[in-house]
Amino acid sequence: MNFIDTFRTSSTAISANKVRAALTMLGVIIGVFAVVMMVALGQGAQNFITDQFEQLGSNLIFVSPGKSGVGRDPAEALTRNKLDDKHVDLIKTHANENISALSAWVSTGSTVVHKNKSYFASVSGLDYNGNEVMNYEIDKGRFLIRSEVKSKAKVAVIGKLVSEELFGQSSPIGESIKMDNNSYKVIGTFKEKGQNYDNGVIIPYTSAKSTFSIKNLSGIVIKLKEGAPVEVSMNQIKRAVSRDLNKDDFSVLSQQDILGSIQEILGMLTLAIGGIAGISLLVGGIGIMNIMLVSVTERTREIGLRKAVGATPFNIASQFLIESVLISFGGGSIGIILAFIANFAAQSFIRTEIPIWAIALAFGFSVGVGILFGTYPAIKAAKKDPIEALRYE
Amino acid sequence: MSKDIPILAVKDVKKHYVVGSETIKALNGVNLEIKRGDFTAIIGKSGSGKSTLMHIIGLLDTPTKGQVLLKGKDISKYTETELALARNKEIGFVFQSFNLLQRTSTLDNVELPLKYAKVKKKDRIKTATEMLQLVGLGDRLHNKSNELSGGQKQRVAIARALVNDPSIILADEPTGNLDTKTGDEIIKLFKKLNKMGKTIVIVTHDEDLAKIAKKRITISDGLVVK
Ligand SMILES: Nc1ncnc2c1ncn2[C@@H]1O[C@H](COP(=O)(O)OP(=O)(O)O)[C@@H](O)[C@H]1O
Ligand SMILES: [Mg+2]
Repeated sequence: MNFIDTFRTSSTAISANKVRAALTMLGVIIGVFAVVMMVALGQGAQNFITDQFEQLGSNLIFVSPGKSGVGRDPAEALTRNKLDDKHVDLIKTHANENISALSAWVSTGSTVVHKNKSYFASVSGLDYNGNEVMNYEIDKGRFLIRSEVKSKAKVAVIGKLVSEELFGQSSPIGESIKMDNNSYKVIGTFKEKGQNYDNGVIIPYTSAKSTFSIKNLSGIVIKLKEGAPVEVSMNQIKRAVSRDLNKDDFSVLSQQDILGSIQEILGMLTLAIGGIAGISLLVGGIGIMNIMLVSVTERTREIGLRKAVGATPFNIASQFLIESVLISFGGGSIGIILAFIANFAAQSFIRTEIPIWAIALAFGFSVGVGILFGTYPAIKAAKKDPIEALRYE
Repeated sequence: MSKDIPILAVKDVKKHYVVGSETIKALNGVNLEIKRGDFTAIIGKSGSGKSTLMHIIGLLDTPTKGQVLLKGKDISKYTETELALARNKEIGFVFQSFNLLQRTSTLDNVELPLKYAKVKKKDRIKTATEMLQLVGLGDRLHNKSNELSGGQKQRVAIARALVNDPSIILADEPTGNLDTKTGDEIIKLFKKLNKMGKTIVIVTHDEDLAKIAKKRITISDGLVVK
């Protein structure tokens, strides 16, 4: 029997029992759907973060305290933080060549209070040109100025969300907000730009240090000139800071480095969750095996007759194996279609994205499951004794 | 092939079944030859070993002891696949309970052995249609098997047995599930096929039916007695 005839035989057998086939497919449908959706969520998150970084602008360099890399102790970076203003100056004097702007950065979080309203915002202390470095765009009012940073002025520029939460529709410019019992005057607001920007409050880094009793810098953010060589500039910065600090006390990272490691972690997470979802695919496969075994027993007579008229064990095995693969492939296809529908529906409230490789993987897996769990029933069918099969009443 | 070599020869064949501590001797040393053009009836009471013998002749089963020679060749060393190919080419089966594929058209049922012989679709339809016309079902090509009467079903089964032009047609109690009149028609059909040159072996416990055969072999308790 050639392949096409075997294929027809198998598909005829499936359509003869549509309800059963549909129920058998269900496990694979759910499995493939879960896998594809998990991957879509992970991919969506990865793309979201990439976009956030891109809004920062490219060619950013970060100097952060402590050793970098996977496996470092984040607490160590905080407790042994030696990064300070003088390192900003060192970079300015010894690595200025490729730098277009740089800013010290002090990062913390605080409840921000105005009258009876409060909001927990991420608070960043920056230098007067921090807006240029971080690509902040002013909506109303203005950004920090040099003298305010020098004099530890209690002034703040606030994000869209903070503004809306504390002031509603009225203008916050000139109003005062309280953080850690210090009163700050709002001098400007930022344009809407995304979650990470909109819930932020920017104050002079000098003021941040005193208000929140922070001794050192959370980092130094450096924007390179357009087209400046990243590697060379990083080395210059490294050498400048090395004049004062040990190699292990700080690290210089490009935006790509940070993005890369975040993506790596997210990628691993996506795979892990996808793998867990894959277990439901295995359960679906066991369902197929179960039904195929029942089917082989039910069709004992048919198998006997086929053998009597000349079916070889290979013919019989192929027929049943193709049947399982068709069921699992069908289930996989439906699962993918459902995932596309869910993906489309989810767009309005969460970012998800189905990558091409996930579809290929899902199809591959569903065929694989069909083969894996269809082989045993197929061999069982092929081994059936034709006499027993024909006597079977 | 020499004319003297029988299509099938069974030599001192024994088939024993061990059930628990007992050994059932279904066949106990049977000798038999089937030659081209033969019309043989194997007669015997129920349980005498007729079906067991037929399965061995039909290459569906192998003997516990003794030889089965297909066109002079010992089949004891054949693999499952070789046996399947030999059945496809040399044997056409007709069963008491028809054994048609459910919900499948008459034509598809008859085509089945040709599919396993890898015959092209066009040729399959042509040959299967001819066979159905031969058994008088030329007007029932597309009926599903469950839409046919018992006699019609058995005619489909006979067409299926003929379609590969096998060396032997084996029929195990082909009239067992049919009323007398329909049974007689089926027997007449076998007679006609034999006249056309087909080699036929019919297994039956009905001595009247056996009378139309040219050769009669009676078995009792696994032995040929007549
Ligand atoms: N698979 C088997 N296991 C045990 N005994 C069997 C088996 N097949 C047949 N027999 C026994 O062998 C004997 C002959 O059976 P069978 O050839 O079917 O007889 P018949 O077709 O003449 O009625 C019977 O006693 C039957 O019970
Ligand atoms: Mg019998």
